[in-house]
Amino acid sequence: MGEGKKDFRVVSGAWELSGFNFRVEGRGMRLMMRGMKEGKFTGIRCGSCNMVYLPGPFYCRKCLVEIDEPVDVSDHGTIRSFTATMSDIRGNPLAEPQIALMVQLDGCDSWIMGVLRDVDWREVRIGQRVKVRWKPPEERTGSLQDMDCFEYE
Amino acid sequence: MDDKVAIVGIEYSQGDDLGLTRERLCFRTVRGVLDKLGIDRHAIDCFILASNDFLEGRTISNVFEDGPVGAYLKDETKVEMDGINAVVYGALRILEGNYDTAMVIAHSLCGHQVSPYLQVQYSLDPTYDRQLGLLNELSGAALQARAYLRSRGLDEGWLDRAAAAALANGAANDMVTRSLDGADESKVASSSYLYEPLREMHCYPPTDGACAIVLASAGRARELTDRPVWIRGFGSSIDSYYFAGRDLTRSASAADAARRAFAMAGISDPASEIGLAEVSDLFAYQAPLLAASMGLADADEAPRRFAEGGFGKDARLALNPSGGALSAHPVCATGAVRVAEAFRQLRGEAGAVQAGEPRLALAHGQDGLCLQQNTVVVLGI
Repeated sequence: MGEGKKDFRVVSGAWELSGFNFRVEGRGMRLMMRGMKEGKFTGIRCGSCNMVYLPGPFYCRKCLVEIDEPVDVSDHGTIRSFTATMSDIRGNPLAEPQIALMVQLDGCDSWIMGVLRDVDWREVRIGQRVKVRWKPPEERTGSLQDMDCFEYE
Repeated sequence: MDDKVAIVGIEYSQGDDLGLTRERLCFRTVRGVLDKLGIDRHAIDCFILASNDFLEGRTISNVFEDGPVGAYLKDETKVEMDGINAVVYGALRILEGNYDTAMVIAHSLCGHQVSPYLQVQYSLDPTYDRQLGLLNELSGAALQARAYLRSRGLDEGWLDRAAAAALANGAANDMVTRSLDGADESKVASSSYLYEPLREMHCYPPTDGACAIVLASAGRARELTDRPVWIRGFGSSIDSYYFAGRDLTRSASAADAARRAFAMAGISDPASEIGLAEVSDLFAYQAPLLAASMGLADADEAPRRFAEGGFGKDARLALNPSGGALSAHPVCATGAVRVAEAFRQLRGEAGAVQAGEPRLALAHGQDGLCLQQNTVVVLGI
């Protein structure tokens, strides 16, 4: 052990930061939620470079101009990458690994994340086609939870 | 320093609650200065952000801001200090020779997102001061205020008059969107004590704000504007975190920072050469304390003269004609706003708060408890 071992003691501390009121631009998220209640996605396209974002921001990061053109995005897409999560975000082990996907939906340039179910994680491949499994219409509330998971096409 | 690096454009706004998201505020501010200069984001070689992660409520917070500031796939770094240090950093990048333009963007949402005062608690020594629970930004300022009043033979009424003088300047400034009209001595004196002797109106207000500043090399500056404002000198200095040995009645680090900036600018007699000073006065006693520490005014005369409006826009030295940080303190953007105010004063564009025709101006920013760290930039035309 180090020579200074007897020269220090430990003072326990915690960092509990203040409360915050985080504002977010509502339009892009509202468009997306409203569509999800009906089982579809709506993004926003940049009129300058045609980039399509989901959820849509109020500006295009490439062109630095305001954007507001709603555009339909498919609920089918392609797996761009994935990971099998062996633990939850607190580090607690999961009984069954959860497959977290990064998916590029058809007609969209930005990628979204979601969970893939009913598949052995050892068999998942980049490039695999997937589609959204929506909750039944009567259970949808216009929130991110309306999307149950992804499944193979 | 001769004509090597210039400020060519500014855009800023500040107020209690600007009614914007952080992304929208950053976008609007950067878009504003680009449009003024008639350029797009690709004309900017590097971006330097300034904000505070504690106050944003997210760490490495610049990663969220590449988009709205126009830095997507650009050279971007961040200063976790007052924005005036980002201005210095930008000047250094241009002086180094590999960049012709730099965009500084400093921002804060302390007006509506989070209360700023007690956050300083998290910059305290966690094994001692934080455990003791007595020291914070306001109690530190109150201790310094009392020491300053005592040293200069001033009473609490002086704090009311000094604050009223600063707030009157702010009320005249259309770049401060607060309703400060009628913030006279009696109104200040009737505001509540926060940490005695400091009352609410002796202390900076929670403020939203952002400031964008475009710097350019000499050649590029002359292409972008016919009225560049040159950076003549800059200097920084930091005092001890620990108060033992600090003279709270002045700021040794402000004096040292100013000395370095004046040496670079070739200024031997700042009191007669500097026509305009914009200092970050977070509390009512700080403007005269800083002006005296930096050699701009006599230490005994400065406080009374300041409270009487003797450093107004018609004075030989105009001190904070903008209203200073006491009128608006968007934490981290405040020092950058001082640079922006100096820019428009030197160009004669300050409207109702224009202070004559200054040729040399000083801008100041600070960080830490009781003026621990100070940075000074000297600007000229």
